[in-house]
Amino acid sequence: MLEKRRLVIRPPHDLGGLPEGRLVRSEHDMTPFEKSCHALLNVLDRHKLVNTEEKRRGVEDLGSEIIGKLTYYERWAVSASKVLIEKKIITSEELGKKMTEIRERLTED
Amino acid sequence: MAAHTHEGAHEHEDPHAPIEAAAGEPDYFDVLQMAVRELMVEKGLIGAGEVRAMIETLDAHEPSRGAALVARAWSDPGFKERLLADGTAAIVEFGIDNYDGTKLIVLEQTPDTHNLVVCTLCSCYPRPVLGLPPDWYKSRPYRARAVREPRALLAEFGTEVPDEVAIRVHDSTANMRYLVLPMRPEGTEGWSEEDLAELVTRDAMIGVTTAREP
Repeated sequence: MLEKRRLVIRPPHDLGGLPEGRLVRSEHDMTPFEKSCHALLNVLDRHKLVNTEEKRRGVEDLGSEIIGKLTYYERWAVSASKVLIEKKIITSEELGKKMTEIRERLTED
Repeated sequence: MAAHTHEGAHEHEDPHAPIEAAAGEPDYFDVLQMAVRELMVEKGLIGAGEVRAMIETLDAHEPSRGAALVARAWSDPGFKERLLADGTAAIVEFGIDNYDGTKLIVLEQTPDTHNLVVCTLCSCYPRPVLGLPPDWYKSRPYRARAVREPRALLAEFGTEVPDEVAIRVHDSTANMRYLVLPMRPEGTEGWSEEDLAELVTRDAMIGVTTAREP
């Protein structure tokens, strides 16, 4: 019961004040994928297609299991696609088709 | 990003199991972000070169900009006053492109108050002045503990804040970002802005450390 209550009142992104262990001061240079995702989401925000709050809410809606398994920018990419589909800016069919097209293009040679 | 070809040991337990996703197969998430970008361009919702240009913007925004800004504030009392009164206007005056359109609030460290910046919900950060946040800023321990036990957290950065100094923790939001204005170290009277900027680290502008001593 306590576990269920916690899941409801503490969505996965809401970490402030929770007990946590020692900080690991990790840093890394951004990969091309990470930079592309970051830039894409900035541009989507600029055009009011997916703003920062919508992006975060899209991540939150993935649920704690997916959030735990995906990397930070993988979550951003999935969130952006889901929010755009929800807002009927794209359809999932269009997205699937485009992904197949890109995959074929990238593996052509 | 490394290709997601190695999902776990289970793939190798059955010698007949196909070894999927040979090196070179495009990463699912990379294809996903490309697909979103291309669909947006095809629909005319974003410009063809806009994401590329944004990558250049991201590359150009580094903590050195924040350091130069702080050095100016240390050298020019009028500028410091404007920076504290309206951070967004002052960074634009300083020539920094506030490319994400967020509001910037500048927090002054004083002998009585130590300010610390966090984003407990995610990873909001003053990107126009500091660039992209380090991994630890986005980590669970930092986000959870900054508001619960900031003194203990700061000690892990080697920053001992005396008990008589108040710690104020500022939780960023999507639209409101914070930058810490560190205290100018003693013994730097008459220094040029360029030399002063060398003392200003990214971490000091987040509030997890203080400026370097000369």
